[in-house]
Amino acid sequence: MNGTSPGSMARHPSGLDAAPGRRRRRNRWVALGAVLGGVALLTLLLSFGLSRDPTVIRSALIGRPAPDFALRNLDGSGTVRLSDLRGQVVVINFWASWCADCRIEHSNLAGAWQRYRDRGMVLLGVAFQDRPSASRAYLAELGGDWPQLSDPSSRTALAYGVYGVPETFVIGPDGRVAFKQIGAVSYDRLSEQITSLLPEPSS
Amino acid sequence: MREIGRGEVGHPDAKRPGRRFAVGSLVLAFALLAAGGALGFVAARGPMTPANMSDRVRAVAVTLRCPVCQNLTVADSPSRLAQEMRATIARDLAAGRTPAEIRQGFVRAYGQWILESPPKRGIDLAAWIAPVLLVLGGLAAAAWAVWRWSAQGLTGRASVGAGEEPDQVLTSADRSLLERALAGTKEETE
Repeated sequence: MNGTSPGSMARHPSGLDAAPGRRRRRNRWVALGAVLGGVALLTLLLSFGLSRDPTVIRSALIGRPAPDFALRNLDGSGTVRLSDLRGQVVVINFWASWCADCRIEHSNLAGAWQRYRDRGMVLLGVAFQDRPSASRAYLAELGGDWPQLSDPSSRTALAYGVYGVPETFVIGPDGRVAFKQIGAVSYDRLSEQITSLLPEPSS
Repeated sequence: MREIGRGEVGHPDAKRPGRRFAVGSLVLAFALLAAGGALGFVAARGPMTPANMSDRVRAVAVTLRCPVCQNLTVADSPSRLAQEMRATIARDLAAGRTPAEIRQGFVRAYGQWILESPPKRGIDLAAWIAPVLLVLGGLAAAAWAVWRWSAQGLTGRASVGAGEEPDQVLTSADRSLLERALAGTKEETE
């Protein structure tokens, strides 16, 4: 069966003719190596897989054209179309009145709006899964006079791959998504992203 | 095969495990063939074409991951975002977009992450091939182990049954015990 004559097989029940002890020992080393190699590979894969936060989705939009939208203002006053803003730095902030981190970042957005609104930056707020009345009450409480848009049935949020609020996208003058912040954005981070995209460095 | 014949001389039972093994292999081969045929048939036929709109939406939604849940598809999640994704899928289907186009739209926004199963190309192909290779490797290892054990058992029996030197099937510890016992009986008889 093993290429050995029946006689030799009868003499060596292991079925191995030459130096069965040495070969068995070598087989044991091979098996041990295979098991250790498997464990090492599994450890490596798990250490990579488990060190990643499964709740953070890397945006697939970075460097790609920002999905266009035409959304009505929360107060019903008119429509903002993204493609009309080409040539400016556009910051889109998805928020909701029920979102705690949105309150934290609100003053940072207000600061960036104050500083860059006359230097080629537009800040747009988009209410995410929120009742319009609750959104308006939130804005009345916290202030802020940048355009606030409503996104019925979350069409725009889905196009941007939003999965929670707050999320902030910075779009360059070329209409491409340059940066995405998941969670509350700091003033410094926002300011750094905006200045890097503005045509001439602001002083 | 000669070992089995020689085994028969000493142990008439030695033939039976061989036949049982053959019958077992035959049954297993038939079962595997039937399972493989059924799998092949289902794979060749492909998924049933959904009849109504809610089934068509569901067919797309089960292939997408709910972004705000852990391990739920868009079809199964009660979350508001998933509801709105289902509404988006329904609207897009009504507008004449194909399921593949709709999926591609979600991939553009969320990345490959949003797909329940990785595409069958590039590095993602490994996720499809690896399980098959592992199962085949495991089956081969199991078959090899069973073959080795049965060969060992038969030759072991054969060597004793044929009246060979019994010390070939003993461990060194057993052998020294046996030698000591034999020496003792020799002393007694002398």
